[in-house]
Amino acid sequence: MKMLLAATTILLASLPAAAQKQEVLHLYNWNNYMSEETVKRFEDLCKCKVKQSYYGSNDELLAKLQAGAKGYDVLVPTMGAVESLIKRNALMPLDKAKLPNLKNVMPGYLNTAFDPGNTYSAPYAMSITMIGYNDKKIAELGLPTDTWALIFDPKLLEKLKGKVTVLDDQRELFAAAARYLGYSVNDMDEEKLKQARDLIRKAKPYWAAFNAQSYIKELTVGNIWVAHGYSNDLFQANLDAVAAKRPFGIKHALPKEGAVLALDAMVIPKGAPKPELAHQFINFMLDGRNSADLTNLIGSGNPNDDAQKHIKPEIKANKAVFPDAEMAKKLEMLKDLNAKQLRTLSRLWTEVKLK
Amino acid sequence: MFGGLAMSPRAARLWISSPPLVYLLVFFAIPALIMVLASFRYAGELGGLAPLVGSGDPDELAGLTLENYQRFFGDSIYLELFLKSFLYASTTTVLCLVLAYPLALTIARSHAKWRDLLVLLVILPFWSNFLIRVYAWMIILGPQSAFTRVFNGALGLAGIEPVALLFSPVAVVIGLVYVHLPFMVLPLYANLEKHDPSLLDAAQDLGAGAWQRFWRVTFPLSLPGVYAGAALVFIPALGIFAIPDILGGTDGLLVGNVIKQQFLDARDWPFGSVLSIVLTVLAVLFAGMAAWVARGQRL
Repeated sequence: MKMLLAATTILLASLPAAAQKQEVLHLYNWNNYMSEETVKRFEDLCKCKVKQSYYGSNDELLAKLQAGAKGYDVLVPTMGAVESLIKRNALMPLDKAKLPNLKNVMPGYLNTAFDPGNTYSAPYAMSITMIGYNDKKIAELGLPTDTWALIFDPKLLEKLKGKVTVLDDQRELFAAAARYLGYSVNDMDEEKLKQARDLIRKAKPYWAAFNAQSYIKELTVGNIWVAHGYSNDLFQANLDAVAAKRPFGIKHALPKEGAVLALDAMVIPKGAPKPELAHQFINFMLDGRNSADLTNLIGSGNPNDDAQKHIKPEIKANKAVFPDAEMAKKLEMLKDLNAKQLRTLSRLWTEVKLK
Repeated sequence: MFGGLAMSPRAARLWISSPPLVYLLVFFAIPALIMVLASFRYAGELGGLAPLVGSGDPDELAGLTLENYQRFFGDSIYLELFLKSFLYASTTTVLCLVLAYPLALTIARSHAKWRDLLVLLVILPFWSNFLIRVYAWMIILGPQSAFTRVFNGALGLAGIEPVALLFSPVAVVIGLVYVHLPFMVLPLYANLEKHDPSLLDAAQDLGAGAWQRFWRVTFPLSLPGVYAGAALVFIPALGIFAIPDILGGTDGLLVGNVIKQQFLDARDWPFGSVLSIVLTVLAVLFAGMAAWVARGQRL
């Protein structure tokens, strides 16, 4: 009995001490954007805990920070949002001496207009907004998959009525419409936006829903045959469909008209509790093997040169994940919008969704 | 030592009611005032609010403006939005009332030893998360669910084309009714349970049939419960955004969604505040009306 008491006392006394010793990295990340294995590997290396919180859109991240959220060490926003955070003076400059692995990143993804000289940001991974589809159904219907017409042209949509979802995101949907109409995704000319609105309104009666949350599941279950979505999510949908032994697969295709490329980057917010640990994490994620996990396990595009040799050949051969040079020219990153442009877009978006 | 005991009744009343008053002041009145102020300001270029005092740059937007209200009243689309939300909230309230009344009456008239259990069963859904319950409806209404198949099978027998239940206005109303039903049942039950059964006996002795006893005795007496329930259902249903987001189709947009959009996607706090204020004013009007009518009934 005495022994037991003594053991319990020792155990109780040691618990808070152990908890105190272990540092915690607070990572505010996209949902499903880092595999368990990678997290584990970093925790073993740094002898610390990684605590992740998640956001579903850049707007959510920006709104949360704007409202005063604190305590995060690393954020992973898309470059447009990085630009916005820089303008708000919300980021801490990176100490490049602590990031030797930054040299692994391909030059094409460094020094972008969003963050000249990468003063604040280090590239993490990429996704492209494209079309995911149920391969069996689309083959049966004999529809083309490499064009935005699949979600915008009523002639094609007639065969897909109620089986299509598009992203519930004003920027992404208008960007897809802009590419289909032959405009740049960053062209905020009101006339062109109105053309996009009209295109969307003509196609809308054929869509099942605006959906940015559950389209992975709807595709996997077979309720939806075509979805406008992010390449990582569509990759996940296929893994799920295979795991559930469905009689179909979920394929994704890059529309020939071009699409939105989202380069996500790691940044450290001002006032981060553990900037030292944050740098260690960023350098860790820039290592080829860890970066390759992002592609092998969740299907992200990869800007890391050193990662390429670790990437599975079948993913390497997938042109939707690694577009060829000609296609790459038609991919655009979304620029941050000013208040007036946002207001115009928001008004059109309300109109599109109301009727 | 217990100085409070010597307080005048008025002071004691004030003292006792101070915690809720402070709560309302801190968590309702002050935020509402902040929102009113925000609705008269310009949106900041990067979200948030533009400064109240400008730096002197003539291009800079600063200070107070009526522009946000002009935008609201100068565009019929927002009026349509409110009308649509009003319609959804009213439909939900009526359906909740129709479903909740028999249930509340059954519970109130059941044997005392069962009542607590039955009330517990009404509250039971609150034990699991709201979003999980709404997601469950996604599965129930999905095209491959047993429910949808049986439903469409029945339609087929009647010679009607199968319909998609999920992502439709019907799904939104089902979700709204499901989530708000307990808020109608509980005040109704609280009211019905207090009715004196001898009133019904007296009515019967005077020759009233079952329907007359209900319509001329029970129902009028239960009106305060009906109004309380209606306010508890109508007001939250008017501002909800999660259910149309999850279950709604391509035209599931309600005013709650647009408010969320203004704060998140459009980074337009002032306009979001205008929409919220209009919604709050409507809700307060409705609650006031319900309270007023309920008080009138008690006379």
